[in-house]
Amino acid sequence: MGQFFISILIILFGGFFSLILVRKAKFAKIITVFLLSIGCLSGLMDAVLNLIQPGIAGASFKYLNVFFLAFRMDGLSGFFLVVIFAVCLLATLYSFHYMEHSGNDVRTAVNYFFFSILIASMALVVTAANMITFMLFWEIMSLSSFFLVIYKHHKAESRKAGYLYFVFSHVGAMFIFVAFGIVYGYTGSFGFDAMGSLPETAKILVFIFSFVGFGSKAGVFPFHVWLPHAHPAAPSHISAVMSGVMIKIGIYGIIKMYVLLNFHTPIFGNIVIVAGVVSGILGVVYALGQHDLKRLLAYHSVENIGIILIGLGIGMIGVSSKNPLMAVLGFTGGLFHVLNHSIFKSLLFMGAGMVLHKTGTRSIDALGGLIKKMKITGITFIIGSLAICGLPPFNGFVGEFFIYIGGFKGIALENSVFAASIFAIVSLAVIGGLALACFTKVVGVVFQGEPRTKAAVDVDEKGPTMLISMSILAGACILIGIFPQMIIWMPIKAVSALGLGYNPIDFESILQMTANITLAATIFLITLLPVIAIRWFFYRGKIIRRSGTWGCGFTQPTVKMQYTGSSYASFILDFFRPVAPLDEDHPKITGRFPLKTYYKSQVNDIAELNMKRVVVNPVLFLFDKLRWIQQGDIHLYIGYILLAIILLLVFI
Amino acid sequence: MIHSVDTILALVLLSILFSYGYSQLFRLIIVVGFQGIVVSIVPFFIGHDMTAGGIVFTIATLLIRGIIIPMSIYIAMKKRAIQSKVAPIIGYQASILCGLGVIVAATYISRQLNIPSISNYTLLFPTAIALPVTGMFLLMTRRNAIAMVLGYIIMENGIYLIGTTISVRALHIVEFGILLDVLAGVMIMATILQTIERTFDDVDTENLRTLKE
Repeated sequence: MGQFFISILIILFGGFFSLILVRKAKFAKIITVFLLSIGCLSGLMDAVLNLIQPGIAGASFKYLNVFFLAFRMDGLSGFFLVVIFAVCLLATLYSFHYMEHSGNDVRTAVNYFFFSILIASMALVVTAANMITFMLFWEIMSLSSFFLVIYKHHKAESRKAGYLYFVFSHVGAMFIFVAFGIVYGYTGSFGFDAMGSLPETAKILVFIFSFVGFGSKAGVFPFHVWLPHAHPAAPSHISAVMSGVMIKIGIYGIIKMYVLLNFHTPIFGNIVIVAGVVSGILGVVYALGQHDLKRLLAYHSVENIGIILIGLGIGMIGVSSKNPLMAVLGFTGGLFHVLNHSIFKSLLFMGAGMVLHKTGTRSIDALGGLIKKMKITGITFIIGSLAICGLPPFNGFVGEFFIYIGGFKGIALENSVFAASIFAIVSLAVIGGLALACFTKVVGVVFQGEPRTKAAVDVDEKGPTMLISMSILAGACILIGIFPQMIIWMPIKAVSALGLGYNPIDFESILQMTANITLAATIFLITLLPVIAIRWFFYRGKIIRRSGTWGCGFTQPTVKMQYTGSSYASFILDFFRPVAPLDEDHPKITGRFPLKTYYKSQVNDIAELNMKRVVVNPVLFLFDKLRWIQQGDIHLYIGYILLAIILLLVFI
Repeated sequence: MIHSVDTILALVLLSILFSYGYSQLFRLIIVVGFQGIVVSIVPFFIGHDMTAGGIVFTIATLLIRGIIIPMSIYIAMKKRAIQSKVAPIIGYQASILCGLGVIVAATYISRQLNIPSISNYTLLFPTAIALPVTGMFLLMTRRNAIAMVLGYIIMENGIYLIGTTISVRALHIVEFGILLDVLAGVMIMATILQTIERTFDDVDTENLRTLKE
């Protein structure tokens, strides 16, 4: 694991340099970005090599007698390391020009510092080999990302987002602590390996607690409330990393716990599938109702986490019903979607960052027609959108395809498995359709049509590193979509390293499927490219007159004639009104020549509403009653501390 | 037989009593500095094997505890022309009485606990208990913020004494950890003090009451 630790050290050094060289901001940024990229690259290479030759490498450090840090790299952690380092590498590159005119050198330096810590801690979490190490780096990960979220701490909105994130990540961590505490209570050791020996009821408890804990990090409904607040608040490359990678660490935790508990009951699979379906469908419904581009993408993370969970759930059900092919397909699909989602979601966030950078607004309905000025951003964003909708021949399709096939394998089995599989398949289809609606909305309103406000008129795209990283990601979307076998071995290696309770099965059938996907994609391209060529041929030499989009032959078209995002989404939102209550505010239009009017709408997240009603308000009420304790006298407070110490001494 | 450590600790106990009774801040600072020096040299006499590193650590502790921190507080006080009274909530006579009570109670408690490894030194455990309690007392009953900082340092002196005497094995780690703690604590307090002083033109913590919602 030498190279791994060296990579981590290089990354940390990068962050450190940005702090000590804060006076020479430009120079510091070059060094930091360089070191972070080198570190990520070296880590990526190490992880890929580790996946190619699956071996278990370990290292442990004993600093204090009781707690010792232990690390272990196996197939699963290798796979997640690939995701972490690849996305962080591109995000670092992207940040070079994105952070150019941040206006505050200290803030930028601090941002890079915490970014480096975030990368390092994520990598260390997935390699942790005992509970102490895991929790230590888990907390460091949560805290460093908290500081990244409050980057714009002079804005109340950012502070609120940071606060919400802080509360959620720590309540989540508390659940994980409870789960680990139960394990420790039974086994008396902090090691992961002893978890398999727990009694069955304890295993179920541990799984549920850790699922809640990890789910709150992953953004599983209803613990996703922090996500749509935190992602828009952070700078875009951070949103890309948080949404593309960090929330996946929660998924890693869920898989890890499942493997460690080694208890193949259908309960786990059903829990995971139900959670996945609910997050998937509601995530995309809420995304449809958003007006803020980054917030919309954040809700799509909830949706995609749902898809990943459906895959894992199918895998778990496959294991419990002793159907190895279904299990392997489910897990492979889920893990593959982890990788794919990290690629296209960071691409989309980077695109959104470019839009935000150049137009200064995140509001979808204020934009329009951007693709004419921002060619590369527009095209890569469309590629990312097609990928996230799960359309062939892009990478999002491949992962979902495996999950579908896994689900269809389950249909042939007995009733309960049949029900779960059908449920998963139908929901996947619903999610895919809604996601398509949502992204036609985004692409149509933001990139096509005509500029709706001044913000979208005079735009350009500059920043080579930003464009390069977006192009690389878009290229990866296409490449993986057409040639999945180039990458599919990674999740397969990770799944085979899980060591689940089935016999090793041949992965030939899966490879066959990927070959078929390639074939289909090739046929698709073979038909598409000639069509383009024919079009080019016949239009050659003809005068092509361009006029405004949605001109519709009017002599005086105005931009107000265009569909807005709200109007486009409203027919779907109407259907989902019970779970996505819509607040609308518009005056009634009267007369033949109505005056200027307005329309405001907001989709309420039922998780947020109910959490406020059920948790926040009672807690506030309770603590309101305790307000008399706060007298404002510091001596009294010191007295409280003394009292607490004495009480502790008496009781312990 | 009276052990040399006990003689030193008697000085500490004396300094405790003085710290209850002083009204002038700079005297309190001197007492705290003296106490820091005396507490720091205890490890030399307690009979642990002193390595070269250990000696360096102990001397560093002595310098920081006995000279640097008191000096810097004194300089800060002079520079800012801070009021030189400790502004007690409980009067001096009553405070001294409390101090006596604390020492008696500490002795009683240490008899009850009877920890074998340090039972050779009669005064060690009572002092170690009395110091934090004294610090706490000063923190609670003095309105002047600098006096409160001094109370905190006295408390830390006590924790240091407990740490060095009980934990024989990981001696320097504990010492150094506590030292860092004190430094960080004093730095934070200095920052807070500065803010209080700038906001209220005084370091009387009574002013903080106005900050309550």
